[in-house]
Amino acid sequence: MSAKVAVLVFPGTNSEMETVRICRDVGLDARAVQWSYAESLPSYDAYVLPGGFAYEDRIRAGAIPAHDPMMDAVIEGAQRGKLVLGICNGAQILLEAGLVPGTGPVRKPTAAFTRNAPVPRFVCTHVHVKLAIEPSRCAITAALEREALIPAWAAHGEGRLAANDEHLAEIAAGGHLAFVYAHADGTVDARAVPNGSALGCAGLTNKAGNVLAIMPHPERDAWEFNHPDLRSGANVLAPSGGAMLFASFAEALKDT
Amino acid sequence: MAYPSFPVIGVSDGDLGSAAARSGLALRVDELRRIAERLGRDPSRVEVRAFDAQWSEHCSYKSSRHLLGRLPTDGPNVMQGPGEDAGILHVGEWNGERYGVVIAHESHNHPSQVVPFEGAATGVGGIVRDVLCMGAEVIAVADALRLGRTERADSHQRYVARSVVNGIAAYGNAIGVPNLAGDVYFDERFDENCLVNVVALGLVKERDVIHSCAPPNAEGWEIVLVGKATDASGFGGAAFSSVRLDEGDEEANRGAVQVPDPFLKNVIMRASYRVFEYLRERKLAAGFKDLGAGGIMGCSAELCGSGGFGAVVDLDRVSAAIQGMRPEVLAVGETQERLCWVLPPEVTPAVLRIYNEEFSLPEIARGAGAVAIGTVTREKRYVLLHGGESVMDVPIELLVGTIRDDLPVPVVPEPAAVDPQRRWIAGERAVGDIFERVLSHRDVCSREALYREYDGVVRGTTVIPRGYADAGAIAPIPGSPLGVALSVDGNPRYGRLDARRAAELAVIESVRNVAAVGARPLGLTDCLNFGDPRNPEHYAELVAAIDGLAVAARELGMAYVSGNVSLYNESKSGNAVPASPIVACAGALGDVAKIVTLAFKRPGSALYFIGEAQNAIGGSVLAEVLGVRGAPLPNIAYARVRGELESLARAIDAGLVLAAHDISDGGLATAIAEMAFAAVTQLGRTVGARLDDPSAWTGGAAGNLEALFGEAGGFVVEVADAAAFDRACAGTPFVSAIGTTIAQPAIAIGAERFDLAPLHEAWRRPLAEVYP
Repeated sequence: MSAKVAVLVFPGTNSEMETVRICRDVGLDARAVQWSYAESLPSYDAYVLPGGFAYEDRIRAGAIPAHDPMMDAVIEGAQRGKLVLGICNGAQILLEAGLVPGTGPVRKPTAAFTRNAPVPRFVCTHVHVKLAIEPSRCAITAALEREALIPAWAAHGEGRLAANDEHLAEIAAGGHLAFVYAHADGTVDARAVPNGSALGCAGLTNKAGNVLAIMPHPERDAWEFNHPDLRSGANVLAPSGGAMLFASFAEALKDT
Repeated sequence: MAYPSFPVIGVSDGDLGSAAARSGLALRVDELRRIAERLGRDPSRVEVRAFDAQWSEHCSYKSSRHLLGRLPTDGPNVMQGPGEDAGILHVGEWNGERYGVVIAHESHNHPSQVVPFEGAATGVGGIVRDVLCMGAEVIAVADALRLGRTERADSHQRYVARSVVNGIAAYGNAIGVPNLAGDVYFDERFDENCLVNVVALGLVKERDVIHSCAPPNAEGWEIVLVGKATDASGFGGAAFSSVRLDEGDEEANRGAVQVPDPFLKNVIMRASYRVFEYLRERKLAAGFKDLGAGGIMGCSAELCGSGGFGAVVDLDRVSAAIQGMRPEVLAVGETQERLCWVLPPEVTPAVLRIYNEEFSLPEIARGAGAVAIGTVTREKRYVLLHGGESVMDVPIELLVGTIRDDLPVPVVPEPAAVDPQRRWIAGERAVGDIFERVLSHRDVCSREALYREYDGVVRGTTVIPRGYADAGAIAPIPGSPLGVALSVDGNPRYGRLDARRAAELAVIESVRNVAAVGARPLGLTDCLNFGDPRNPEHYAELVAAIDGLAVAARELGMAYVSGNVSLYNESKSGNAVPASPIVACAGALGDVAKIVTLAFKRPGSALYFIGEAQNAIGGSVLAEVLGVRGAPLPNIAYARVRGELESLARAIDAGLVLAAHDISDGGLATAIAEMAFAAVTQLGRTVGARLDDPSAWTGGAAGNLEALFGEAGGFVVEVADAAAFDRACAGTPFVSAIGTTIAQPAIAIGAERFDLAPLHEAWRRPLAEVYP
């Protein structure tokens, strides 16, 4: 029996379709669960919070949905060790819910993904993210190789990690910095960061390593046909590229 | 009728004209008299507003309908031609199902000039509803922008240019539909009238199409309004878009612009997909239509009227955002994010439950929801009730039937043949004098700074994002290798010179762009953006452009399945936009594995030019850069255009093509440069090009600069196996070997050599200043 994964749909979520699709293509029993069916959430083994503009990004991206009743089940599940993956808006929600980096109380965020800098503009651009922790540090990345390089699309207006110095130091020292932006050859520098993110951060995990928040979308570069250059005779419908993160997620859920 | 009337009978022409103007009506005196005569009484204030909307150019196409009949609208790929909210093209079969790609094309020009963010955003919102209401999943949007001069940082034109892009991004990104294609041009003749054309694509199985009319057995069915609470925004919008923009009326015009709510739309789209599923599971028929021009009245009247019925709508049942709204505002106001169903009464409760409970619309936005507001009637009258009384009661065909303004149609002369030998450039010029000036020209330079604000990859179906090829492409059917390609085109520099040729070239360009990625062109949409049709000069341009659209489509075996006419694109000072026929072409890919992008793939490949160089450089960027005046647009030989398309398709199908790029603004040399730039930015590879001196491959048919920068069109292709390509193209006179790709970051042309980096910077920088 494959693990049951709920892909949460808040009002304003827009990436549930492709997120469900890639989860299924790597063998998970994933389905979209919409806000009116929140009561069914505790019965799932794991949660994915997909991209979008939940509650219209009012106040700050992720701020309102972090207080949605759907998040009660996610927070409780995370505290009991269930795996939780948040992508883009889902990542913003996990930070606002205080689940990552998880250095403060629940729903009292110590860091946020906020307005891009230097220009506070939405940007859609192809990026690579590099695993910056030991793979086993986070259950969701455990099946990746060290320093795995994952192609993805950044598509956000609020993706810059911001926190005060004390909290940034905690993130760095506590092994929370799961992914950093990198060039296609794996090198890391400021030019690879599309949004001015502190520490070059593209993704964060919590202390227990069961929650992962990642800003760029690996699910939008997750099949052969998504790569304009990678299809010499390949099966264009096969998962590839960004799919490796979901494959690792599925691996971690294998024994569930 | 108890409701106050708008006095017409017995009022002098002069008084009637000033009363109409005072009330902000676009209806003319003769039209008001025609209405009173047909009703046999003065129209009520509600009725006069209803006719003002329905008889506007925007709704009635009264001065263009008889011309549009000249366009081909039928063909083997056409599943649904013009006449509904969107057309449908047959894109292929998968798992025993015939799939259609739904396509709609509209303008939101006036609103975008006055309130650019909201105007452009609601343009996207409207076109998405047009596609949605055909029962389709919305899979892509595209936009064609024509903007004024943006050089001055503090200019209104730059504000418009930025805000339009912000608005498109804010809306399209939030609803989660990828922005797949588009183009942008800058010209001083758009200073006072920008053009914002939007295109949307949808996907639907043929048997699942829902029509924008009441089904044959719909008598007694319910009319169900879905969406945002009705407010006073967009009152008079249809009429507003059918008059010239008058700067003095800016405040009044602003009130006619609608307010976008992409957040609510996101939820309405998903709820509507659920309703489609519900109806399909039970094999239930229904009618579904977007509320656009004319609001509740226009939509319900067209839904019922086109099915051969009448309607009774009770305005008291409409969820109103404000207490005490006048019935004419409730009836014809153009509040956004609304749609209308015609449903069997026994089905209504389930549909209301989906919108109001499962998707909780009333909690998403105040006053939003789905509610039954009226009934489809056998009697062919359109009746509005308010406060328990009839405030409108007219024959429905008078309201929504064909009305025509038969302006005398000028005979447009056939374009004069162009002397292909005549040169327009005096003396010889080095390529080095102009290469960077062409690449940094406002119509040539990189568009990335603009479109990177659009989400081009949401839904995870994107195969070719913007900037990677001449057309965008997606694989919209989960588990299927079928693909859809899209391009939108129209060149205002050509429109300034010759409306007919510009229209022909727009069709050719859009078809070429789709072909360049390896897709089979399926069909077209058009949006005709012109000045006041009562100005004979502008009317002649419109007629000429329609002729051009018709000729080019017939010659290339294409049909138009939807379109839009936007007239009065001029300000009071008489500054009209250049003739702007804008064309979108949708294409089908049997297998997205075969797509071709424009980036050079590797050094050592052979480069070919498919096309014919000409000395006629009229309308080209080259002519602007050199200050050449008087040159004509290039000759169009359709046999050659078809031959070029067929050769390219054959070569791509045989797997011989590594990269392909259509030759347009800036000519062949620009195409080569863009292919080298893309190799660096998209593939991280250094691939330059060495071209033979043009005289070696034009055979003297055109001068060197004309061959390199002229815009007679065609393709540049990168080929790995030159011998196999030569065999595939044997006997085609317009295929020329022009050089090879090289491992150095340079472009060498004959004896001249250019480093890639400064060229790339010249091309990349200009729009990055407008869109930081």
